[in-house]
Amino acid sequence: MIMMLLALAGPALAASAPKRAPASVAPAKKAEAKVEAKVETPPSAAAVRVADWITASRDNGALPYAIIDKKDASLFLFDAKGKPLARVPVLIGIAEGDEATPGVGTKNLAEIGPAEKTTPAGRFLARYGFAAGKQKVLWVDYANSVALHPIPPTASKKERRRQRMLSPTPDDNRITFGCINVPSVFYSKSLRPLFQRKGGYVYVLPDTKPLEAVFPRVRVQGPTSAAQL
Amino acid sequence: MSPSVTKLAPAVVIMVGALGLGGCATKGYVRDQIAPLNQRMDALEAKLHDTDATAKQALSEAQAAGQAAQNNGQRLDQLNARVDGIEQRMRENENRRKRPRN
Repeated sequence: MIMMLLALAGPALAASAPKRAPASVAPAKKAEAKVEAKVETPPSAAAVRVADWITASRDNGALPYAIIDKKDASLFLFDAKGKPLARVPVLIGIAEGDEATPGVGTKNLAEIGPAEKTTPAGRFLARYGFAAGKQKVLWVDYANSVALHPIPPTASKKERRRQRMLSPTPDDNRITFGCINVPSVFYSKSLRPLFQRKGGYVYVLPDTKPLEAVFPRVRVQGPTSAAQL
Repeated sequence: MSPSVTKLAPAVVIMVGALGLGGCATKGYVRDQIAPLNQRMDALEAKLHDTDATAKQALSEAQAAGQAAQNNGQRLDQLNARVDGIEQRMRENENRRKRPRN
């Protein structure tokens, strides 16, 4: 699995421009099309460990899955057989934290406080469903209103989400209210076709909690894979 | 009495006798002719009786069907009210649908 993840990152490295160019320089839409081939760092030990565990235990059943590394602001996409398909940068909740404030899912965006804008960590069975306004979204954590979707067109321009997604560092990828934003091309061409029919699993790695606290069964897998990185 | 009348009297008597005898034969004939008619009338009467019974039963069934239709109509009205309620609740749920945290 490590090799697979590295292999996934490898071509991306080769194909990417030298680091991420300042977003203001390149036209945002053009640049976003290339965003899939723009991740440079190798996958984190935690991501590799979770990927190894999923593959070994077949935790995904017969469904495709995605691993979201919040610290690295990356998403790894796998098919149902565990074959890595893509790695893309993501935007996540602006607040650091692995829990969702009780009741945050029922609040309007304007009512959500800064500390509540977390992307909760954990294992989620994500499925497509309707949201307000008859739009269909991939719900990751329905109870807490966390969905996975491209950058919404209604997002404030001041937030510069596109530029943040394109920037080389993951530090500025914390901007959402808790949802996970992915590049639109990746969403429409890779993720949606895979998750549309039966959904899939989304594993969100923690910010602050120990990995074993969020995914207790990785203990069985042991830290060997991570050490090999 | 004239001789012509004397001559005619037996002829008249014979004629009257013939007519009387003929009258008796006509009654029997008529009875014979009426008998099958009577049978047919009896049969028709029996059929009429049956038809009357059938008509009464049909009327009774029609009345029952009418009652059932009325009950069904009432039930439909009740169901319509329920459907309206459900539709309204669905609309409310639609408006209450969750918004992703973008």
